[in-house]
Amino acid sequence: MEAISVKGLNKTFDYFKKEPGLKGSLKSLFWRETLYHHAVRDVSFSIEEGELVGFLGPNGAGKTTTLKILSGILYPTSGEVTVLGHVPWKREAAYQRQFSIVMGQKNQLWWDLPARESFALNRDIYEIDRGRYERILGELVEIMGIGHLLDVQVRKLSMGERMKCELIAALLHQPRVLFLDEPTIGLDVVSQENIRAFIEDYNRTQKTTVILTSHYMRDVERLCRRVLVISDGRIIYDGGLADLADRYVDHKIVTLRLGRRVPDDVLARFGRVSEQSGLSVTLEVPKKDLAQTAQALLSALPVEDLSIEEVAIESVIATMFGQRPGDRGEENTTAGAAQPPPVVESDRSVHGAG
Amino acid sequence: MKRSGISAVCAVRRTFRLYGSFLAQNLKNEMVYRANFVLLVGMDLFFMGINVAFFAILYANVTTIGGWTFHQTLILVGSVGLVREAAYLLFRQGFLELGDYVRTGQFDALLVKPIRPNIHLGFRHVSLTESLGEGLMGLALVGYGFAHVGTGWAAIPLYVLMLGVSLVIYYAFCLAINSAVFWIIKSQELNSIVYTFMETARYPRDIYRGLGKAIFTFVIPISLIATVPASVLAGRLDWGLIALAVIVAVGMMSGATVLWNWSLRHYSSASS
Amino acid sequence: MRKYLTVFRVNWQNSLQYRAPTVIYILGYTLYISVLLFLWTAIYGEGGRMGPYSLSEMMTYYLLQFVINSVVLSYVSWEIIDHIREGFFSHFLVKPINYFAYWFTINLSGKLFETVLILLAAAGIGLVVGPHVAFPSDPRTYATFLVAAGLGLVLAFELEFCIGLIAFWLIQVRVFKYMLQYAVFFFAGTLLPLDLFPRALAEVAARLPFQYLVFVPIQIFLEKRPAPLADFAAAGVWIVAVYLLARWVLARGIVRYEAVGN
Repeated sequence: MEAISVKGLNKTFDYFKKEPGLKGSLKSLFWRETLYHHAVRDVSFSIEEGELVGFLGPNGAGKTTTLKILSGILYPTSGEVTVLGHVPWKREAAYQRQFSIVMGQKNQLWWDLPARESFALNRDIYEIDRGRYERILGELVEIMGIGHLLDVQVRKLSMGERMKCELIAALLHQPRVLFLDEPTIGLDVVSQENIRAFIEDYNRTQKTTVILTSHYMRDVERLCRRVLVISDGRIIYDGGLADLADRYVDHKIVTLRLGRRVPDDVLARFGRVSEQSGLSVTLEVPKKDLAQTAQALLSALPVEDLSIEEVAIESVIATMFGQRPGDRGEENTTAGAAQPPPVVESDRSVHGAG
Repeated sequence: MKRSGISAVCAVRRTFRLYGSFLAQNLKNEMVYRANFVLLVGMDLFFMGINVAFFAILYANVTTIGGWTFHQTLILVGSVGLVREAAYLLFRQGFLELGDYVRTGQFDALLVKPIRPNIHLGFRHVSLTESLGEGLMGLALVGYGFAHVGTGWAAIPLYVLMLGVSLVIYYAFCLAINSAVFWIIKSQELNSIVYTFMETARYPRDIYRGLGKAIFTFVIPISLIATVPASVLAGRLDWGLIALAVIVAVGMMSGATVLWNWSLRHYSSASS
Repeated sequence: MRKYLTVFRVNWQNSLQYRAPTVIYILGYTLYISVLLFLWTAIYGEGGRMGPYSLSEMMTYYLLQFVINSVVLSYVSWEIIDHIREGFFSHFLVKPINYFAYWFTINLSGKLFETVLILLAAAGIGLVVGPHVAFPSDPRTYATFLVAAGLGLVLAFELEFCIGLIAFWLIQVRVFKYMLQYAVFFFAGTLLPLDLFPRALAEVAARLPFQYLVFVPIQIFLEKRPAPLADFAAAGVWIVAVYLLARWVLARGIVRYEAVGN
């Protein structure tokens, strides 16, 4: 069954241009130029019930804006959206009781009170009956392992503990659809892993439809079989994650700290030097000969420290644009124009000061 | 018909229950900052004292203002305090925080919950302390004035009802002004108008003339807020005035609701 | 000197970003003053009289109070409090700029736009109640009024500055801020002319610095002050005294800040 359907979605924000200097300020007292930012352009996709889909793209690409429209927080400029048969921006209580949105950078818990109090409030807001509430809360608290934290002021919790509480608060009413916007941002590695494991397990057991956005490749790798890549407000890829990574990224990031300086041409033999400051060097090394290269580096150069990392999701997308622009459009199902249009279009309309 | 009646009763009961939980949360929250409580109440008492001093000095020079005696005027001043206290117990503090909600994008959380965002916002910040001193002082002033004017206990139910009507007018004004927050983002100045609205409400309606009277009745209805309920207790009952207040309350509330709902579309959730 | 000019300019531009809130604030205050003018008209219309004031003197008093409240009085402590509490003060410890002079400049430039608007609003109200405005008979009065208002501006700023500095010690400065605001509201003559107070209260008010912010300048404008020079001298003494207090508090605050950090 289709849980989410989006057709031809557009969202445009307008804002005012600020001219620099004293004269500009004076002038802007009386008129100013309106600029338009097309945050989401002609986006269409469809998600089946129970799917766990990753939403990828650089900052400002339109991921969060899309999630906010799906939640009824923002009104779209045009387009059709239904989630569980409801139009989100009508904000019907019947819809609101069936979904949740968790934003990693925003806190919905009461800062000065223990999390238990915020949970109780959500119980009353969502009209969950006491028996069911106690049972669900008990389950979630047990899975998350935060029983001992329920009576601690939220402000005194660590970021990871707080995110666990945020998730519990969002899941008490057993939503059928869950939007997670950067749920692991700012968390330490262990907490990230815990949250990931929980999301994976929850999606599998509860058959909840989940859309997840994240900067961390690992979140997406671990959780999502299908990803939507969005850039400049357009969907440029919709398909399997494995295909995406294979197609667009063929290297890993190797970071070195050297004991003394090494000539650039020597470094370049091991891979593309993407960053260099003093004795610290970042190399892009092809995946296929990673092991060999790492060994070679250790034996040939005065290496004090070496680390290997996945390419950040932002770089994946940068790679999609920068290195193999011709590949786009073959595989994806929804991409439109070949070149991304400029983000900001100026439309000279003059407004009064009023 | 009957069915919609029942569902309306359910909705009201549900709202009351929710209010109860929010009130409990806020009490716990305010207990965290106990020291503030005493200071805030003290400040309120002091400020009300200044207002009474103002009128005491005026009445040292004159016997009536717009036909109102000193004791009748105390009922006016006290009624403003009572309406304000009720407002803080229901919605006012939330609107003071609204600018922050919009600027930081916290307002998102209100839009996805199955309660109306304006109700949720108000309940979220229900405050016992913010205006407690003013409420108590208001009650004392109304009591003192009432004892001297001597209109009899029968007037009290209508007085309380008209306080409710004034509260609706106050809410409508507050909602309408705060609709602009989605463009202006800073709610401090917006709410300074709402504050002034109540500050200027304590003068009797009878001082206004001509165009001013029309404006202060239909556009910025400060001439009704205190005068209509107080006139019931002060022995100046005027049914025409009461009808006028009810009409203005209904009209403003409908207008403000339409305006607010339209403004919500312009919320451009800050992504931070 | 140039750095303060730049601070002035940058802050002015910054405050222009908030022109809509400023307009709204002025509208609210215009509402308040209009209602008071209705009140005085009604009182004098019923044959009442407030002490030594004629209706036109009363109207003029409140019209000037309307202007002074925006132009002379300072509200900069809110910003100072945030500044200290959020740890921005560290930037000042490492920069060659005088904290007092910095905020004085911010205070002045923040008022520029508001001043323009308030004068427009006052002119608008003045047109409506025109015949009731009591202009001074002696043209020199305008000059003495401006001097008195200028002294008031400096003194008002110094008081606000001191209140803002409390943020070095306390998290909740709001209550002190309100206390100052109420003190000014009552003892500066914003609420009522001080000579209408009962004798005992009027005596108290005459011994406090607040009267130099509102009451004394307006009295000078109404030519009800016999010796403006003596007022200037007294205001000057207060300005020096509060300045020394501010310096002392700031020095202690810095010691505290360095010890506790932020």
